[in-house]
Amino acid sequence: MSSIEVLYLTFLATGFVVGFGHCIGMCGPIVVSFSLNLKTKGVMAPNLLYHAGRISTYAVLGGVMGATGSFTRITTGIGGLQKGAMVFAGLIIIVMGLGMSGWIPLGQIFGDYCRPEGVIARSFRKLSGIQSTAAFLPLGLVLGLLPCGPVYTALIAAAGLGMETQNTFKAVLSGMGLMTVFGIGTIPSLLMVARLSGMSWLKSREIIYKIGSILMIGVGIYFLIRGLRF
Amino acid sequence: MLHESGAFICKIQGIKFSTLFYAEIKMIDSNDKTKSHFIQLRPPSRNTQLLSGVWIGMLFFITIIFPIAAQARDFSKMINCDVHHGTCTQKLQDTDIILDISPKPVKAMTDLKFTITLTGKQGVSEPFIDLGMPGMKMGPNRVLLKSNGKGVYSGTGTIVRCPSGKKIWKATVIVPDMGSVEFIFDVIY
Repeated sequence: MSSIEVLYLTFLATGFVVGFGHCIGMCGPIVVSFSLNLKTKGVMAPNLLYHAGRISTYAVLGGVMGATGSFTRITTGIGGLQKGAMVFAGLIIIVMGLGMSGWIPLGQIFGDYCRPEGVIARSFRKLSGIQSTAAFLPLGLVLGLLPCGPVYTALIAAAGLGMETQNTFKAVLSGMGLMTVFGIGTIPSLLMVARLSGMSWLKSREIIYKIGSILMIGVGIYFLIRGLRF
Repeated sequence: MLHESGAFICKIQGIKFSTLFYAEIKMIDSNDKTKSHFIQLRPPSRNTQLLSGVWIGMLFFITIIFPIAAQARDFSKMINCDVHHGTCTQKLQDTDIILDISPKPVKAMTDLKFTITLTGKQGVSEPFIDLGMPGMKMGPNRVLLKSNGKGVYSGTGTIVRCPSGKKIWKATVIVPDMGSVEFIFDVIY
């Protein structure tokens, strides 16, 4: 087995382990929020698309790290984007929670009477009602930029591979491969969370939605504050 | 509206589950007046109630308790090294292991030079450093060191920034065939 294959296996295992130890705490709330927002729809397909988007972003970042061989230069460059992704995650969860609770008639405020063609109106309507399966792919692509310690660690390894590899094309592929296997490793834990929070026979109860929406709003505020302080 | 059979038919406008046990049915009668009726739902079985409780508890744990608990633990008492103002020394068997990180002050997400000086007995091969956070798995972040002679080893690495805001990091220096020591310090974000 070559050293790069060993590294891939190491980061696949790392993704799996940090998934259950780290991602459930840090990214689990996002997955729970999305799954609750899906209401009666199945959660597996949207979640798989979300993870596909997230891993695609990881792969692109890994490729860039491999090509440049520099972790700090790239992360400095995308710092603003990561902050934006975190704030966006907070906002989207708050809006979903408000939409789900039914306390604030977002549809009436932003959709029916108040310039429905307006950017804000359309955005709020879309954000509060993200239930289309296909929407989870771009959501994953954006939220793949969320700042995360283990992702940074994997990116350092991808940059290291780039420094060791003379051929730029190979360096890009190596970096992409490493981030892809790392991302795949994190999927089981987050899918488990999504599956547990998306049990349709319990979600048909209104009270579950009330509690879920309160949790979502709380989580959204938490992400928003973390994003603003990042 | 009357059905052929003589039964009175209302148009159901909507059903809303008020609690776990009642549902409100809004109906429009023949005079276009909206009326509400509450009907009692079949009470959930003991198993359903139990699972509902477990489910809500799990949601609460994942979304609120786990993230807060991950941040609540105070690791500052574990700090045994001030990397911002000089070197740190720990003893492993009869060997002093001196850690220096530069440039100072030590900031996350920057290229850092790690220098290890071994005084006394040396390991069978170069020591290396594993960077991590106390109480939080961050994945393998290893700094490989090269010998500069006379027991001095150096290499470059990066301490990453944890979005949780925690700033306490751990550098585990592993000397092959001798063992390892931990330096715990805070970094600047």
